[in-house]
Amino acid sequence: MEMNRRSFFKRSIFTLGTAIIVFGFPDVAWAEKKKFKTTLTKETTTICPYCGVGCGLIVSTRDGKIINIEGDANHPINEGALCSKGSALFQVVSNERRLNSVLYRAPGSSKWEKKDWTWALEKIAKNIKDTRERTFVKEKDGKIVNRTDGIAQLGGAAHDTEECYLLSKFARALGIYWLDHQARLCHSSTVAALAASFGRGAMTNHYNDLQNSDVIMVMGSNIVEMHPMAARWIMKAKEKGAKIISSDPRFTRTSSIADIYTQFRSGTDIAYVGGMINYALQHDRIQKNYVLNSTNASFIINDKYSFNDGLFAGYNPEKRNYDKSLWKYDLDADGIPKRDNTLQDPRCVFQLMKKHYQRYDVDTVCNITGVNKEKYLEVCDLFTSTYPEDKSATWCYAMGSTQHTIGTQYIRSYSVIQLLLGNIGIAGGGINALRGESNVQASTDMALLYHILPGYLTAPSPDDVDLKTYIEKYTPKSNDKKSANWWGNYSKYITSLLKAWWGENAQKDTEGGFCYNYLPKKSGLHDHMQIFENMYKGKIEGLIAWGQNPAVGGPNSEKERKALDKLKWLVVAELWETETAQFWKRPGVNSADIKTEVFLLPACSSVEKEGSVSNSGRWAQWRYAAIHPGDADWHGDARSDLWIVDALFKGIKKEYQKTAGVFPDPILKLNWNYGTGDEIDVNKEPSAHFVASEINGYFIENGQRKGQVPGFAKLMNDGTTACGNWVYCAGYVNWSDTEGKDKTAPNYVKNELGEFSNRYAKRIAEKDEPKAQQLIAEGRAPGMNLNWSWCWPVNRRILYNRASVDSEGKPLNPKRWVIRWNPALAEGKGAFEGDVPDGPWAPSEKYPFIMCEEGVGRLFSAKPNEGPFPEHYEPLESPVLKNPFSGQMINPVIVLFHQGDALNKELNTIGTSAQFPIVATTMRVTEHWQAGAMTRNLPWQAELVPDLFVEISEELASEKSIKNGDKVAVSSARGKISAYALVTRRLEPLVIMDGTTKRKIHQVAIPWCFGYAGIATGDSANLLTPHVGDGNTNIPEYKTFLCNIKKA
Amino acid sequence: MENFSEPMGLLIDNTKCIGCRACQTACKQWNNLPAEKTTFFGGEGYQNPKDLSGSTYTLIKFHEVIENNKIKDWGFWKKQCRHCIDPACVVACPVPGVLEKKPYGPIAWDDTKCLGCPLCKEACPFNIPRFTTDINPKIRKCTMCNDRLEEGLEPACVKACPTGTAIFGKREELLKIAEKRLQEEPDKYFKYIYGKDDLDTAVLYISGFDLEKIKGYPKD
Repeated sequence: MEMNRRSFFKRSIFTLGTAIIVFGFPDVAWAEKKKFKTTLTKETTTICPYCGVGCGLIVSTRDGKIINIEGDANHPINEGALCSKGSALFQVVSNERRLNSVLYRAPGSSKWEKKDWTWALEKIAKNIKDTRERTFVKEKDGKIVNRTDGIAQLGGAAHDTEECYLLSKFARALGIYWLDHQARLCHSSTVAALAASFGRGAMTNHYNDLQNSDVIMVMGSNIVEMHPMAARWIMKAKEKGAKIISSDPRFTRTSSIADIYTQFRSGTDIAYVGGMINYALQHDRIQKNYVLNSTNASFIINDKYSFNDGLFAGYNPEKRNYDKSLWKYDLDADGIPKRDNTLQDPRCVFQLMKKHYQRYDVDTVCNITGVNKEKYLEVCDLFTSTYPEDKSATWCYAMGSTQHTIGTQYIRSYSVIQLLLGNIGIAGGGINALRGESNVQASTDMALLYHILPGYLTAPSPDDVDLKTYIEKYTPKSNDKKSANWWGNYSKYITSLLKAWWGENAQKDTEGGFCYNYLPKKSGLHDHMQIFENMYKGKIEGLIAWGQNPAVGGPNSEKERKALDKLKWLVVAELWETETAQFWKRPGVNSADIKTEVFLLPACSSVEKEGSVSNSGRWAQWRYAAIHPGDADWHGDARSDLWIVDALFKGIKKEYQKTAGVFPDPILKLNWNYGTGDEIDVNKEPSAHFVASEINGYFIENGQRKGQVPGFAKLMNDGTTACGNWVYCAGYVNWSDTEGKDKTAPNYVKNELGEFSNRYAKRIAEKDEPKAQQLIAEGRAPGMNLNWSWCWPVNRRILYNRASVDSEGKPLNPKRWVIRWNPALAEGKGAFEGDVPDGPWAPSEKYPFIMCEEGVGRLFSAKPNEGPFPEHYEPLESPVLKNPFSGQMINPVIVLFHQGDALNKELNTIGTSAQFPIVATTMRVTEHWQAGAMTRNLPWQAELVPDLFVEISEELASEKSIKNGDKVAVSSARGKISAYALVTRRLEPLVIMDGTTKRKIHQVAIPWCFGYAGIATGDSANLLTPHVGDGNTNIPEYKTFLCNIKKA
Repeated sequence: MENFSEPMGLLIDNTKCIGCRACQTACKQWNNLPAEKTTFFGGEGYQNPKDLSGSTYTLIKFHEVIENNKIKDWGFWKKQCRHCIDPACVVACPVPGVLEKKPYGPIAWDDTKCLGCPLCKEACPFNIPRFTTDINPKIRKCTMCNDRLEEGLEPACVKACPTGTAIFGKREELLKIAEKRLQEEPDKYFKYIYGKDDLDTAVLYISGFDLEKIKGYPKD
C-alpha cells in the first residue's frame, strides 16, 4: 500500500507539511533539499520478519532500490520504534550474501553449480515422485494409511500465512507425515498446555495489553531481549505503578527493568511455581467467585484417581504411559460433572490440589531451586496479591518454560495459579506465550506439524477408518446446556477443510467421506527428533526444508548433521546459504563421502512479497512487496515461497500426469489454482489473495463458489462450504458483508474473484477512533485496537473474556473492563460491547471457557500425558540425585532415545553429574535471531555480537583460572564447543540441598545462534544438547543439561 | 521548532534503557554507515564496537551495578556527541564552516573543507569527534540527525528506541521532565542531571547510578 508522506510523518514532535512551504528555509536551496535521504521515495508498509511481536515498518524505495527502512509511526504496537534487528532489516535486502540463483550440489561434489528454475523444479519433482513411488504405503495392518514413509518436510515459521497454508496442503497431498517445523521446537508444549487448561493453545492476551497489568511475572522468558517492543508496554505499565518480577537463572536485560529479581536453578520451575500455588492456597489468596464459576475447582474427581510418590494412578512402567481413563470427573445421572460448591469435599479438585501442593512448602522449594528465601516470599506475596477483582497479573514466558522434558507442565502450573487468582480473561492478565518468530503463530495454526490439521483439528490415525468414525471420536460432547462446547462443531471444520483441499472431488461418499482417506494417517510420533532419528537410520530419503535450519536449531547437532548425511536428496528454500544448505561441506567432513543431492532454491524476504503474518497476540497483519522481480534491488532468480511451492506442485502434478504412479489421486485431484495457470512461469506470481480467500472459506452452490463465509458459525458439514482454516474464518470476507463504504481503505480488495474486505489490511489504530476513545474513557482497557488488522478468532483480542464479567454481564473490574453488557444495543435485545465477547450469548447463558466441554478452566486437566496436576521432576541431565517431592526422578512418560535400539543409542549419550557437574542452559541475545542466518549474515548485527561466548560466574571463572575474554571449551556427553568466556556477576553459584547433602551448583549460559555459515560464525551450542523432549510434544530439552568447562 | 531557533535536545534516561542497541543500528541505517570488524566484545558486557569511530556515531556501554556483593542492576549508557551549548570543537576547528552549532541544537558538520586535524577531538571535553580512515580523514560524529530535524522528523535513534529511553524535545522542557523524574522517584535515580550539572549540553542524561562508575566515562 502506498502512503503519502504526510501520513508518514504524523508522529513527529512538531508537525510537518512539505518542508519548503511550512518551514520556509530562506537560505537552503531546493537543490539541497533534494539530497534528503527519503525524497521522492515510494513508501510501503510491512511487518517485521523477526520475532512474534509484529512491529510495523515503512520501506522507502526509489527506482526499484530500497533506500530506507524504519519504524511505522502509525503502528499501534511499536509506534515507530524498532529493536536492533528490525532496524537492520535494510541489510536483509541490501546484501551480497543473498542467494540470487538456484544452486545445485551433485552427490559427492564439493561445490555448488548454478542452475535455472526449470531444470531444478523438474529434477526435484522427479526425485519426489521417485521416492514416493518406492516408499508410499497404502495400508498397514489392514487399515488405510496412504502415506509416504520416505519424505520429510520442515519449515517455516517466518513464511507468510498463505505460504504456510499451501505448504501444509502440499505436504498432505503428497502423503507426507514426517512433517514438522520450528513450532515443535519452541512452543509445542505451550499449545498442549494451554489447550489442556483453557481449550485453545494460544497466547491469551496481546502485547499492548501489558500496559494494563499490575504485576508482570517474566519467568521462562527474557522478554526485553527477545521481544523488545514488549518492553515498551511493560514500561507503560510501570508508569502506572506496575511491579515487574524477573525470575531467571541469569540476570538479563529483562532483569534490569524488574523490581524483583530471583535467581534459581534451571529446570526447577515447577518447584518454584508449585510453591506459589501452595502459598496462594495456604493464604487463601484466591478469587473465590471466579474459582467457583469459571474453573473446575468444585468438580468431583472419580475415586479411581490417585497420586502417590510422584506417580498418578494408571502408570504402566513398561510402556511408559498412563491410562488416563482413571483421571475422570464423577458424573451425575445426566452425564454432567458433579460439583461441590463449598469446595470442601475431599474428592473435589480444590481439595485434591491443596493436598498435592502441600509438599511444595517454601523451604523445600528454596532448597531445591536455590532461590533466596526472602526474595521468594516477596515474589509469592506480590504475585498472589492480585487475587482481588480489581487487580491483574500476567505471566510472560517463552523458551525457558517450554523447552524442558516437563515443559507442558511448566505452563500448566502457570495456568493453575492464574486461574486461582482470577487472572484469565481479564485485561492485564492471562498467560502470554511469547512466540519468537514473526509467523510461527500462523505456521502452527496452518498445522505444519504432523499431529494436527489446520485449525487445530487432530490429524487422523489408522483406527479412524473413515470420516464418520473420525468425527465421532474427536467431537467432544457435553450434556450441560450451559456449556457452549464449541468443539461440538468439529464436523463442520473438518468437512470444510476437505472441501477446500479436494474441491468438487470431495463428495459425501468419496474415499471415506469427502476424500478423508487422502489424508496421510499418523501412527505414533513423527516430530522433529523422531524425524532425525529415522533419517539417521536411513528411513528417510528426501527432505524439503522451507526456511528452517536444523543443522543449527535442532538438538544434538552432531547426530542431526550426520542424519542429513544419509539423505538421498535435500531441497532447501532459503534467503542465505545456511548451515543446513551447506551441511555437506561443513568443517570436519569429507564431501566425497556425502552422497546427498542438494537443491538450494533462492527465496524472498518479507519485503519482497505480499501476504499476512500473525503475531503472538494472534493479530494477522497484511504486508506488501516493496520491490518486484526485475527491480534494481531484486535478487536475480529469487522467488517467493508461494511461487516455489506453486511451481513445485505443478511440476509434481505433471510427473503424475506423464507417467503412472502409486495412488496419484490426492495429487491429481487436489484443488489448487492460485491464478498462475497450469504451466510453471517465473513471471507469474500466485495470488496471496486467492489463498487468503480460500483460508477464510467460501460457500459452494452447484460446484461453484458463491461468496465468502462471513464467520465460522456459518460453516457446514454437508459439503456446501469450503474453508482452509476455521479459526481464520471472517478474516477475508465479501466487501458487501462489512460496513465498508470507503473503497480507498487499505482493506478493500478487488480481484478476479470479486470484491473483498481483507481485514488483515485494516489500519485504524484506536487512538484515531473516537468511539474507542469514548469507551476507554468509560473504563474499557486500552490497547485492543479492534480495527487494526484482524485477530483470530473473530477479532477477539482477549480470550476467555466472558470470565471477566459477573452473572449480569457487569465487569468484575469496572476500571479496566474488557467486555460489558449493554442492554440498549441490538435494538434493545442487548449485546456485549468492548472486545468481541467469547461467544455472543447473554450473560449467564453460557460458561466462559467455550472451547472446553466442561465450559470452565481446568485446574485439574486429564489431557497432558504425565498427569492432571503439574508435578516437579528433574531434567534428564540433573545435578542432583534426589527429588525432594517424590521418588520419581524424571518425567515418567518421556521417550528415552538413549534406551532405544542400537541406532537410537548412537550419539545419544546422557551425562552424569559426576562427569559433568555444571548446569548449562542455552540462551539468546536480542541482536541475533534463532539459528542466526537472518542476523549473522548482516554486517550491522555481526558487528554487535560477532562471536560465540559463554556466560560464567566470577566464582566459576576463578575456580578454573578463566579470565574474561579467554577461549574456553564447554563439553557435554554429546560434544564440545569453543567459546569466549564472558565473566559476569549476573550469574552466581547456587546452594541447593540434594536430599541431605548441600551442593554448590554452577550454571553457565550459551547462545545457541551460532554456526559455521555467515559473516559471524562460531560453534553451535546444540552440539551439546540432548535428544530428549517433553512428554506431550517432544519439544527438546534445550534449556537444561550438564556440562563441564575448562580453559582452552 | 517552527522558526528553527528554539534549542532542542535529547533526554536519555537509562533507567528505561534495555541495552538493546536499536539506537546503534538505527543510526547506522539512517546514515548508511558500514559495520566494523569486531571480536568478542569491545568493552564491558556486550559492548561493540570498542569505541566511537568514523562509522560508529553512538555506542551503548554496559555496566553491572553491584550492591551488598550481589548484582543489583545492569546499567547502560548511550555514548554520543552531547551537542554542547558552548561547543569547544567549533572554537577549536581552524576551518570555518566545517563545524556549526545550529541555534536549534545540533552541532552539524560539513566535511568538504575538513582538514582531518585532531583539534576538535582534543578540545572536546568528552572525546567524541572521530575520523574516517581513508587517506584524507574527515570528521565524523553524531549530527543529532540534523537532516531529519530539518524535515520535521526526530533523530533516528530516538524514533527507534523501544522504551522511550531517549526522547527529543525543547531543552527547557526536557530539563523540567528530568527534574520531575528525579523528584518523584528519588530512590530510582542518581541525583544528577548530566548536561546541566556538569557542562551545559543539548543531550541530557539521568541515570540509575553514577555514570562516573562506568569505565571510560566521560572520556576514555
